[in-house]
Amino acid sequence: MGMRRTTTTDTTTTDGGGMDGGGDGGGMGGMGGACYIYPAAPATPGLTNADVTFNLGIDMQIPLTMDDGNTVNMWGFTDGGGNMGMDGGGMGGGTFPSPAMRVTEGDIVHSNLNVGMMWVHTIHHHGIEPEYRSDGVGHLSHDVANGTYTYQWRPAHAGTYFYHCHTNTVLHAEMGMYGALIVDPPEGAGTLFSGGPSYDVEAFWVVDEIDSSWHNLPWDAGTCGGDVGLNELNPDYFVITGVDGSGNSAMNLPPISATVQRGQKLLARYICAGYHPQKIRFGGLSGKIYASDGRPLPKPVSVTEIRAASAERYDIIFEPTERGTYLIETDIIHWVTGEVLGTTRTSITVT
Amino acid sequence: MDKRIDRRTFLKFSSAGIASALLGSTGLLSWIPRAEAATISQTFYITEGFITQPDGVDVYFRGYSPSTNNLTVPGAQMIVQEGDTVRITIVNTLGTSHSFKIDGVVDSGRIYGGQTKTIEFQVNKAGTYMYYDARNAPYNRLVGLHGGFAVMPKGSSNEVYDGSPTFVQQHFWLFHDIDPVWHNSIRNRRTPGTTYSPRYFTINGLSGRPPGSTGNGDPSVDAMHDPLSALHGHVGDRTLLRVLNAGMCQQSVHTHGNHMDWLTDNGQIRDDIWSKDCIYLEGNMGKFDAIFPFDPPPDAHPPVSTGVYPMHLHTEMSQTAGGGLYMFGALTDIFFE
Repeated sequence: MGMRRTTTTDTTTTDGGGMDGGGDGGGMGGMGGACYIYPAAPATPGLTNADVTFNLGIDMQIPLTMDDGNTVNMWGFTDGGGNMGMDGGGMGGGTFPSPAMRVTEGDIVHSNLNVGMMWVHTIHHHGIEPEYRSDGVGHLSHDVANGTYTYQWRPAHAGTYFYHCHTNTVLHAEMGMYGALIVDPPEGAGTLFSGGPSYDVEAFWVVDEIDSSWHNLPWDAGTCGGDVGLNELNPDYFVITGVDGSGNSAMNLPPISATVQRGQKLLARYICAGYHPQKIRFGGLSGKIYASDGRPLPKPVSVTEIRAASAERYDIIFEPTERGTYLIETDIIHWVTGEVLGTTRTSITVT
Repeated sequence: MDKRIDRRTFLKFSSAGIASALLGSTGLLSWIPRAEAATISQTFYITEGFITQPDGVDVYFRGYSPSTNNLTVPGAQMIVQEGDTVRITIVNTLGTSHSFKIDGVVDSGRIYGGQTKTIEFQVNKAGTYMYYDARNAPYNRLVGLHGGFAVMPKGSSNEVYDGSPTFVQQHFWLFHDIDPVWHNSIRNRRTPGTTYSPRYFTINGLSGRPPGSTGNGDPSVDAMHDPLSALHGHVGDRTLLRVLNAGMCQQSVHTHGNHMDWLTDNGQIRDDIWSKDCIYLEGNMGKFDAIFPFDPPPDAHPPVSTGVYPMHLHTEMSQTAGGGLYMFGALTDIFFE
């Protein structure tokens, strides 16, 4: 599920595909109906050689088949996308969620986003706090259109993050334009943060809700006004790390589910990727939260469940001592009524 | 000062000056601690009117306003200190009954239509509070009768509670969500009978107006540039955020640029201070205090100390107006200067 990365070992490597924005960054082909977007193609401030480079394109046709046999169209970032301006129909190569980025604290990272001429997107590395023009917020910098932009950042804190599109965000993030972003400490994977706990097994619980009635909207829906229903998210599907989580599909599917031996340590990276609040329960297991939102807690906290708001992340270490299978359930809770709208399920098996 | 009033005033009202020492004229709640307790007096006029939303729809509100011919939503921010005596006079200009309540501090009881009532109370516990109309709950609060109220620790200019981490400036971020159908029912003195469906989302009474839109940059309508909401600071200008939710929706308050130091949760001092980029804000008067540290954005390369970043709710439905218009919801900007 990780994204291919280019690790630069010399000082002459250039970043993939057309980082000058491909010329007419203000090109509005096919975008005549959009409002309050800010296409431009500036140079990245302070651009320097990267330690790690990700090349991302766009795919606007990613079918996601649910347990009931229905297919919902998702959007996402692709691994690759160096064909400047030529991702065209945005077909093929995309997954939901988008491929994970994994880097090491202190790396200079380039995320090269290549967008075709039919739409506008950005990357916001959520929880990463870079120079503002590498933050991916259109109204404060620019949106990427018909070209490539290099987001440059250097993560200072190991932990769990995610990246997502920040153009017409209410729609684009709901459509699935996000992926996990893991920052390992210099010690590497297996340690949560320097001075923090080690772990033997890793699970990824990225819980989200989908309102399929939003999934036939165009990328710029509502931007010029008009009621397209983006104030009401009434989900009919509930997914965990890209899989319909309401039944058994994610129950035995690493790295969503996990198998650990007694004496081993499991790190669960939980990302509340939806908009409605969530409550995750650990099926009788007790875990310790060591970090949240990419920052260590002053003191780890033992929990059997966690309440989370949109885009919060929690890093939980489990050290189970009893054999068994433990059901990990996440309720998605209506933001006004508190009603449980749906629940995703996966499991931890202790041998 | 006039702009602060105009923007929340329906056209039929003319603006009027406020002669209250409690209202900051800028986003900074200037605060000079006093050695002695004082008596703080404030008069609110309960008024009604319409406020135009980003999609041009006029929505009915009631407010704790500074004069009879004015509508202000939310009411003026108030800041006092422990030990002070607060004397609030409520002039109810409407025909409906209302009240003024601060949970755990004071409750005026019923104030009949046309009645004027003065309440006096002492504040003894530092913290962040909401004053609101508790009658006909939650409807009178939702229709606009609410405002932010802060009690500073006695003699302190830079703490949210005794011994708290310190700050150099402070802001209220009072969020609200608005269902115009409910507001119209309240206007017609009926109990709303429809499922709550918020269509507008505000911070300190305003919504975003992104670049290119009418009103962008106008602090009287644009939450991104409202001095009460937008943060301005240099590196090191630690800024206290007094976050309150007058609306029904649970929210996720998300800052770019820096994580926030999360100090209190619904009035309780947290056991440990967590550094968070998203903080859970409960609906129906949830609240928390946090400090935006104005540290250099940690992940910039090369390092920087200036720039502009958003604060927005990550419950992204709240970023819309009238079912669309992304960025015309509850968000503001954070300026590293």
